[in-house]
Amino acid sequence: MKSNVYKYILLLVVGFITFSCEDELPTKLDYSSYTYSDMDENGGNWNQVLLSGPEQITIDVPEDVSSQAYQAELAELKSIANNLDQSQQEVVAYWTNNPVVRWNEIALELIAKYNLIPGPNPDGTYTLPNPANPEGPPPFPFAHPPYASRALAYMSVAQFDGLITTWHYKFTFNRPMPSDVDNSIQSAYTGNSIPSYPADGATIAAASRDILSAMFPLEKEYLAQKAEEHMSSLMWAGINVESDILAGEYIGEEVAKIALDRARNDGMSKAQCPKPVSDSIKNAAFERYGWKWENLEIPTRPVGLTPLFGKVQMWNVPNVEVVRPPVPPAPGSAEYNENVDELIHFKNNMTNEWRRIANFWQDGLGTYTPPGHWNRIANEFIIKYQLNPLRSARVFAYMNMAIMDGGISCWDAKYHYHYPRPIQNIKGFTTIAGTPNFPSYTSGHSVFSASAAEVLSYIFPQEGNLFRNWAIEAAESRIYGGIHWRFDADVGTEQGINVANYTINVAKTDGAD
Amino acid sequence: MKKIYTGYTYSSLLKFAGWVLFILLLNLNKANAQTPSDAIMMKQKQSCVALIFDYGTWDQYWEGTELRSNATIATFKRYTYMPMIAIGLHDRLNLIVMTPYVETKSTQPNGGKFEGAKGFQDLSLSLKGEFLKKKVGEDLLELFTTIGFSTPMSNYLSDYRPYSIGSGTNEWSFRGIGQYKMQNGLYFRGTVSYLLRGTTEAERDYYYNNGSYYTSTMDVPSAWNYHAGIGIRLFDNSLRMEVLYEGLRSTSGDDIRAYNAPQPTNKVNFDQIGANAQYYFKNIKGLGLLVNYGQIFNGRNIGKTTSFSGGVTYIFSI
Repeated sequence: MKSNVYKYILLLVVGFITFSCEDELPTKLDYSSYTYSDMDENGGNWNQVLLSGPEQITIDVPEDVSSQAYQAELAELKSIANNLDQSQQEVVAYWTNNPVVRWNEIALELIAKYNLIPGPNPDGTYTLPNPANPEGPPPFPFAHPPYASRALAYMSVAQFDGLITTWHYKFTFNRPMPSDVDNSIQSAYTGNSIPSYPADGATIAAASRDILSAMFPLEKEYLAQKAEEHMSSLMWAGINVESDILAGEYIGEEVAKIALDRARNDGMSKAQCPKPVSDSIKNAAFERYGWKWENLEIPTRPVGLTPLFGKVQMWNVPNVEVVRPPVPPAPGSAEYNENVDELIHFKNNMTNEWRRIANFWQDGLGTYTPPGHWNRIANEFIIKYQLNPLRSARVFAYMNMAIMDGGISCWDAKYHYHYPRPIQNIKGFTTIAGTPNFPSYTSGHSVFSASAAEVLSYIFPQEGNLFRNWAIEAAESRIYGGIHWRFDADVGTEQGINVANYTINVAKTDGAD
Repeated sequence: MKKIYTGYTYSSLLKFAGWVLFILLLNLNKANAQTPSDAIMMKQKQSCVALIFDYGTWDQYWEGTELRSNATIATFKRYTYMPMIAIGLHDRLNLIVMTPYVETKSTQPNGGKFEGAKGFQDLSLSLKGEFLKKKVGEDLLELFTTIGFSTPMSNYLSDYRPYSIGSGTNEWSFRGIGQYKMQNGLYFRGTVSYLLRGTTEAERDYYYNNGSYYTSTMDVPSAWNYHAGIGIRLFDNSLRMEVLYEGLRSTSGDDIRAYNAPQPTNKVNFDQIGANAQYYFKNIKGLGLLVNYGQIFNGRNIGKTTSFSGGVTYIFSI
């Protein structure tokens, strides 16, 4: 009997150890280099967002491939690319021939890292993150959804404009890839042959590095190291010689400067206004409509999140008032009462499916935010449809401009109407999602998601139903979470679509379709 | 990993259906998935059922190693109702089954207005074997080993801390127990266990754990668990009293970030002191009472929990 017992125990232990090896959990999108579905040889003629034309940034005419200078570069490349160690090969495999996706993932990771709301001090006051003293505490920035939408928009626009210029010069100078000059060199990546001067990878690396360094100043060193690794990988992969990389990097740096000039003056630095301004906004809403949102945290936060984000310069909408939604139902009205009943119904009869939806789209503190969630979705479809880096940057540029415009419009409505949250108006109400520090109407998730889904549906029309249904689910998730009224979600979805159409109309005439 | 146990445990355990009685006294800090860690073995032809109620509360927690309060949560409360059955399969082999029901909430007022959580937590099965019983003069040295397995009984959400009612993962525990009983009633006991934990499923498919994770699967850190107790048996073994230290050390995991919610991937450590007592009625055959007190005094990514529990046990022959 006794020996039997130990036999079973031994069996269990051995069995467990055998089966306990787990697969590594994914920390990035799993893809390798691929053949682009289209080269977009005319991409250099597309309209740019910030640049007046591709030659606003000028680079030198490259040395001919027969020149001594080029041949020396080629010899150097050959000795490097043919002698890679294991870690260099891994780096090459990581960056792939569509590094737009990788830089987007880096941005999302930084957003998640910095999306932490400052807690109260021991005396009950709150200290705001301060760009003049980024170390804090609290560290700068607090990468909340409006901040995230803006960081992503500037990065994507800089990548897009930079790549249009790069494409323009690629197909103007037509310098062949090293592997086309010397067949003893092999590109590490499968796929298309593309003129190598200037290096598109270097443009992406430099533009992304410089924009993200401005948005996340404490990550400057990390980003410089990432960009250096990326640019080195272009030689390790055998796809660019040094002069290709230097020219590409120059374009990236120059376009980033132009984008950051806009960013400095877009009004974001004033969005987190002082308490007197915040109070006057609140009182104006109360006088106009008879209600006002209050922060119910303990201790109370004196100012909501970025009350003046609605005044930030928009990308494609002429002014924020043209997309401002109508007045929400007044508390006590029939529609309002129905909304109250619905929220109480969800709370008292919470199903697994409602809970799953609330959590799946929550994208709350400590995550990549709703704008980040839609960038992650875009990444997946960019790989699915095998877009080239320029096309990929176009997806992100238009989507992230629409998301940021959506956020600006949403924040305009939030602080114009200053509508209370469910926990403020329904006595004893509790939620399964955290109630954010800003007014209810309209729902940020709804506007961000509808704007993103609308642009993605324009780009991938065959997937439109999917994207639009996801956007609606994301909007409804906030009702299940208990933090939004249904009219916040429904009107927010319409608002997001309206805003996105301004961007889509620009996209339709940029020369890419 | 989640599938491997089904082939072995349930059916093989049932093979040993010889009924012996066993009583388990434990600190019911079940959120940390304790399994039988004492040094009591019952004789054949007896069984025991128990119902234990545990109340745990904290108003401060360790964010990483930093002790803090948080008015978003205010005071946290956890109630555990623990039905348990202990079945002696043999004089030297016991099976213990536990099915805790847990409820959590915050006190009012709080700044978060979060809904609490409740539900059946983890089904826990443990096999305890005694493999050494040796006289040392008039004293007695005993060594035991426990192998335990627990798995979620309901689809509670583990990624809803601090309110989630459990870790939502399968856990194997491998425990060694040594006890030295003196003739005068004093005893000393120590245990070392390894809690091998799997993964849990969140309802989001992205999270940050010192970097991005693009999956709903979260790794729940495995841990070492230690107990050291000194106790005494009085009144012809009808009263047993014990003071106890318990420690937990996770072998991996991240820290709660500043003013942010905990998550199942966190590295949870604690040191707790406690005391417990068990009393068997002499005139009501088979009936016993137990009480327990515990206080976590040092920790990482866990509430500074004070817990009280009490329960009724009933021993009967088969």
